[in-house]
Amino acid sequence: MHTLEPELRTLHAEGVIDDATAARALARDRGQVFSLHAELRATLYVGVLLVMAGVGIVLARNLDRIGPLAIVLAVALIAVAFAVPAVRAKLAGRALTVTSDYLLLLAALLGSANLAYAERQFALLGPLWSWHLLLLAVVHAAIAYAFGSSLVLAASLTALAGWFGVGGTAGDALRFSYSSPELGARALACAAVIAAWRYADRRARPDTRFSDVMDHFGTNLAFWGTITWCLEWPWLAAGLPLLAAFSYASVRRGLDVGREVFLVYGTVYAAIGICAAALPRLHGITTSLSFVLTVVCVTAAVLWLFRRRLREPAP
Amino acid sequence: MSRWRPTPAEERWLEVASGLGAALPRDPLAARTGGWRGTGLLARLALFVLGFVAAALLFGILGFGNRINLLVAGLIAVLVAEWLTVRKRLHGSGIEEGLCVAGFLLIGAWITTLIGPEADVIGATPQTLVLIVAAGAAGWRRLNPLVTTCAGLVFVHWIGSTTAAYALDEVIGHGATTVAFGCALAALALALGAREFRRPSHDRMLDWLVATLPVTAYAQHAAWSFNAGGFADVGVPSGRLATSLLLLALGTALLLAGLRRRRHAPLLGFMGCVACLAVEFRFATALATETWLVFCGLAALVAGVALDRYLRQPRNGLTSVALTGRDDPLDLLQTAGAALLAERTARELSPPEPAFTPGGGRFGGGGASGSY
Repeated sequence: MHTLEPELRTLHAEGVIDDATAARALARDRGQVFSLHAELRATLYVGVLLVMAGVGIVLARNLDRIGPLAIVLAVALIAVAFAVPAVRAKLAGRALTVTSDYLLLLAALLGSANLAYAERQFALLGPLWSWHLLLLAVVHAAIAYAFGSSLVLAASLTALAGWFGVGGTAGDALRFSYSSPELGARALACAAVIAAWRYADRRARPDTRFSDVMDHFGTNLAFWGTITWCLEWPWLAAGLPLLAAFSYASVRRGLDVGREVFLVYGTVYAAIGICAAALPRLHGITTSLSFVLTVVCVTAAVLWLFRRRLREPAP
Repeated sequence: MSRWRPTPAEERWLEVASGLGAALPRDPLAARTGGWRGTGLLARLALFVLGFVAAALLFGILGFGNRINLLVAGLIAVLVAEWLTVRKRLHGSGIEEGLCVAGFLLIGAWITTLIGPEADVIGATPQTLVLIVAAGAAGWRRLNPLVTTCAGLVFVHWIGSTTAAYALDEVIGHGATTVAFGCALAALALALGAREFRRPSHDRMLDWLVATLPVTAYAQHAAWSFNAGGFADVGVPSGRLATSLLLLALGTALLLAGLRRRRHAPLLGFMGCVACLAVEFRFATALATETWLVFCGLAALVAGVALDRYLRQPRNGLTSVALTGRDDPLDLLQTAGAALLAERTARELSPPEPAFTPGGGRFGGGGASGSY
């Protein structure tokens, strides 16, 4: 264990920090106030993950024994039950707690699973089955707005990205070798839709808490699409200027709002895009590795310089 | 004042600056922190990766074929890291840490080429031990808990791969030696954590071991059980019982220590022990996987709801409410986690594509349009 009490007292005695800041910092250092928020989030996330994994297996294995209609109804009932705490908070005019937020996410995911299962069994949308992802995106967005849930909004944006034919998670960023310009165009179109959505949301609700989630999704999708374009000529002609513009915008945003993650996006994605554009045109292993090493060194230096200019928000 | 790394006093002031963030003006601390400069968590991670990749690329440029290039690339990486430390006063910025860790590993890899054949770097061999020591030394040099913890975890698995451990496993159950050693090490780290350390980084190194050792030590045992079928008739029953009791005892100690010391690491270690016990319960019974998953998931949710309700109003200083709005990496992790769950659900339960689509042009389908 260690305590920083002497240092905090020194700063307070010298008037560097005010009474309130000193009292808060000392209380946390001594353990007089201790938050289990992170542990709670982890527990709830694991709970949602396990239940969804279990339900997935149940849906896959027990069709013959229970019957599709019974399964659909049962899962729908369970989903509604998990949404009860969020509905109660909404009716009481309270903001969602972390628990009701996660339970609402579970309800939304169960709803997704149910819809996909019903579509598989009853072919409700026929040849337009892939539109169920768009339907999910809309339904999840409606739930997210009704309850003010960022978690459900993330599920909505993932469904939207899925409808556009691009994955919504970081793992998809590693599949550039299987990418095509069409995939890049779809990712960019999805990013544009999310950017427009974010703009409209911000105009309609200036105090919105959804901008951060949309920023992350939009930024990642825009960079993935752009990097995909950097792989092939003639898309490269549009890809490189777009990459420069997105990198500038990302770094600018990071510096403006004091968020280092956007500095990381702007610099690291730019480095990946430059390597993706240049490496197929370089000959010889030594030349290629030297080029990548140069890019890596420049990226590290630039990221370091940007980070030094960043002012972190207060705790 | 040291040129090579922050003194304990400087490191403590750096910790104060990191904890108070923008609430603290930079100038009054400049002299106390010795001019050492670092970054935030996300930039540090990115710079660590860039530094590590740079060292690996350097080795590639010198040539993979010649063993001496391992030493040359390693020395260059370490020297650049030291130059950044001494001249630029970088500490905990990521780039010098990535270079140093990669450099030490490259030098370690060169030493392994002097010991024996290249094929023997997997398993409980001296070569693996050299790499573990190299990583541990780099982590200690950089006061980096992530690297020292990784070295510690691999060391536990190395112990579990020795001939003596295999012989012991035959008697007490497969993987039980690793679990026992890991739990003992976690208990030792927990006991040492009660002491007051001048350097916050030393405290954090122990914290990370306490939080991660139970799960990673158990993973080898669980992997073996899973590969063997994972049911009650597999393995030595007394070994299973001993493993469960060990995890139960360690989990209890971690929970009590975490609540008493008000530290996150023992509580995370406790959660790991509970997860291990849940897996052990699955192996010990013939419960269907889906039943077990739903049961454990509901148990976690009920525990979360109860904890949230109980601690919404602080009790003895404990609360379930976030104390600071500055949890950017956690928020990012939460958003990514929700997206991952949604994507998994959509992928696993998506309606099947038609088996044959004339002119569909998808790999594995009917027709060809050139895309795959």
